Amino acid sequence: MTAAGESVSRLPAVYSERGGPADTSPLRFRLPVSAVALIAAAGVLVAAAAYTAGRLGHAGAPWADRMYWLGQLLILTPVAAQLLSRRALVVSETVTLVVVLTVAEYLVKVCYSPAAFTYADELMHWRTATDISQTGRLFTANNLLPVSPHYPGLEEVTSALASVTGLSIFTCGLIVAGTAHLLFVCVLFVLFRQVSGSHRIAGVALLLYAGESLFQSFDSMFVYQTLALPFLGLTVLAVGRLAAAQAAGSRLGWFTVAALSAFATVATHHVTSCLLVATLEVITLGALLTRDRALAAWASILALLSAAAFAAWIVFVAPSTVGYLQPVAAEALQGLRALLTGGHLGVPAPASAANGPIENQALEAAAVLIMSALVPVGWWQVWRRYSHQPWAVALAIGAVSWYVIVGVRVFVADGSELAGRASTFVFVPAGFIAALAIIRLSDNSLRWPVIRAGTRHGAPVVVAAAVLAALVLVFNGLVNGWPPYWERLPGPYQVAGAERSVGPEQVASAEWALAVLGPGKRFATDEGDLPVLGSYGDQNPVGDDGYLYTSPAFTPAAAQQVQAQSLGYVLVDQRLSQQLPASGQYFPVDPNAGKYTRPLPLADLTKFNYVPGIARIYDSGNIVIYDLEGSAYYGP
Amino acid sequence: MGRSQADVAATALAAALACVAAAADAPVAVMTVLGIALFAAPGYLVGQLLLSSRITGLERMVVITGLALAVPVLGGLLLYAAGVPLHRPGWLGLLAGVTLAGDAALLLRRRASGSGRMAPSLWRPAWRVPRWHAAAFAAAILVAACAVAVARIGATIQPQPGYTQLWLSPQHQGEHTVRLGVTNDQGGTTSYRLVLRRNGHVSATWNITLADGGTWQRSAPVAGSGTLTADLYRLPDLSHPYRYVSTGSTTAAGS
Repeated sequence: MTAAGESVSRLPAVYSERGGPADTSPLRFRLPVSAVALIAAAGVLVAAAAYTAGRLGHAGAPWADRMYWLGQLLILTPVAAQLLSRRALVVSETVTLVVVLTVAEYLVKVCYSPAAFTYADELMHWRTATDISQTGRLFTANNLLPVSPHYPGLEEVTSALASVTGLSIFTCGLIVAGTAHLLFVCVLFVLFRQVSGSHRIAGVALLLYAGESLFQSFDSMFVYQTLALPFLGLTVLAVGRLAAAQAAGSRLGWFTVAALSAFATVATHHVTSCLLVATLEVITLGALLTRDRALAAWASILALLSAAAFAAWIVFVAPSTVGYLQPVAAEALQGLRALLTGGHLGVPAPASAANGPIENQALEAAAVLIMSALVPVGWWQVWRRYSHQPWAVALAIGAVSWYVIVGVRVFVADGSELAGRASTFVFVPAGFIAALAIIRLSDNSLRWPVIRAGTRHGAPVVVAAAVLAALVLVFNGLVNGWPPYWERLPGPYQVAGAERSVGPEQVASAEWALAVLGPGKRFATDEGDLPVLGSYGDQNPVGDDGYLYTSPAFTPAAAQQVQAQSLGYVLVDQRLSQQLPASGQYFPVDPNAGKYTRPLPLADLTKFNYVPGIARIYDSGNIVIYDLEGSAYYGP
Repeated sequence: MGRSQADVAATALAAALACVAAAADAPVAVMTVLGIALFAAPGYLVGQLLLSSRITGLERMVVITGLALAVPVLGGLLLYAAGVPLHRPGWLGLLAGVTLAGDAALLLRRRASGSGRMAPSLWRPAWRVPRWHAAAFAAAILVAACAVAVARIGATIQPQPGYTQLWLSPQHQGEHTVRLGVTNDQGGTTSYRLVLRRNGHVSATWNITLADGGTWQRSAPVAGSGTLTADLYRLPDLSHPYRYVSTGSTTAAGS
């Protein structure tokens, strides 16, 4: 009950926090949450030490890699053991454990890039935030991600904080992203607790949610989705409160919160806005199935409002959204069609670095099996205990998406990317439903004769099994999430890598380009230099330019292509001739991805030195920039 | 002023102090504290106005934080639509304006309803943290801060190969000069010789010594349609150009 006497949940409590068989366990010792927090902080320190070892030249050393995983064990194991323990926690302890888990993992992410953003998507948003701070205007051009300035919520908050505090965009970006990530987790906790009537289930659901592959990385990065997610969650939370409110004043207040949050979602991220409408529709369906008219009415009203706001935003502010999302939607639909027709779509993904070592794939398979086995048990729990609870029914419906993304990942060529990006949303219902299953199985198993015969020893075994299952899920998220295994630790420069392709020489060349050439020039460049050139340099790099680097001569056909692409400059990183690409591809659009067996010949990269009329205007040793604008090959 | 209006007074004070400090160009440390307080204030006040005391605990916290983040998102759009530049004065005006308006509305509502004394009591923690738990949490924060410091130090001391930038500004039509530049990022003071050639003939030579991070620039006149080449030697090696640039090369490197 709230302070105003309103019902938090429209259901009677269906889950008892106490009274389970193991509560009689003679094992009375329990690690206090403060000690868990301290151990988790030590885990962050160990992971940071591993990162530093990587930076100091030990990135490939097995001991440094093990040190990182030891840090993760220290963070995750005590939290998982406490949340899954059958010893009753109080609400504040459960909340603290969830916060400790979220903050510790966020700090590990911060320690990976503690001095500046290095992930490509973060650099894109850093560019827009910097532009807003410098120009005082919204909707400035962003060459790397043209649609993003039309959803400026994240950059507005960041530049506002930077303006009023005087801190850098990077520092404020970390504060905003970290706050938004923690806020989303807390909103989910509040929702899960209200739905289940149990903070234990809510805590376990959040533990399982941490197993989604983007939890520690993309969902807490300085990207627009990170801020849009808590707005989505707040809208949903407010809808629930709105439906439960008795007084008109209360309804008005919650409706205003819901509407403000929905508008903020729309102004912050396109895909999350779509998912907000979809979520509200699923809640409406759950409410209709359970005959909760008030919830059905309010959820559908907010769904309509959100859809109208999103449509108006696309029409009046961000028309480019359609062109941006259309290929993604088409790919998703094709994937679904391929899935339903039972066939592979297109060419199977090439065997490349992206597939990962066999042990990573084995862990992924185990995690998929565990989750796939838990969800039906969770559905059975919803059927048995929550069939009149609209939210639980809605979550059960949403959990179907788990099998959809598994199918997409397994049966659709290049489906891993789509499935990975969808996991942020899919794990919300799937994590909750799986948590119902884990709690039920661990409670029920103590009644099984084989365990009941030795309850004294059986209870810890059951908890250990549950902890192990949860750790498999969470470690799978880390192992197969971001950063990829070939950049697990920060370290020296890697050709066509990810964050290890962002170094001082790249940044210097990009800043020179901005200072001397001005912004927005059409550049040919490689996979590793592209995000730096587009962000620090504010240039307009193209991705489909491998032909310029993979032939020994500058042919008439290449010259024609240069004109067709209106390329003004070519950036050549001569280290492309020294290493194979870490990511498997030298260029963003690379038909030879995953097929390279030796680095590019140096002669292919230096051929521009001998092309009459092409000026060599910049040389920093590894990086050379050629000017095509002053040549006969330039065709704007 | 009664004890129940302490939150109104505190948020108004934060807004006023932040504006004064910004006007006085206060140091970043001061602005950070005041700025974050000002950033949080609108969320608290809007939450109080919309929901009053109807929610407690974690739910109250998430609603307030969410509203605090929504204010600059939606307010920034309104400022932009009104033609106000989104620089410090604009953001300060927005946040302080919402804060003071919220304070006024809350004050009036509390006076009208006479229920103001309820609000602050909700902020009392429902549970007390034992002293040694508090010490453990403090130690955890300290260890986590050390972890970030270790990572930052690691990033700072990470060995990075030094490099030197040599450039020649692109020659535009109608321009009779180009800019030549050298920046030293070798990690220490470095001496160079820069040789400028026109159609292969030496036209100028400069001996340059640059501290780490230092930059040297010159304008060089361009006459006719010949090739301009600049070879940079890193002393004492004068046999192989260390870097070179060219306005439109027709021959091999460094020639």
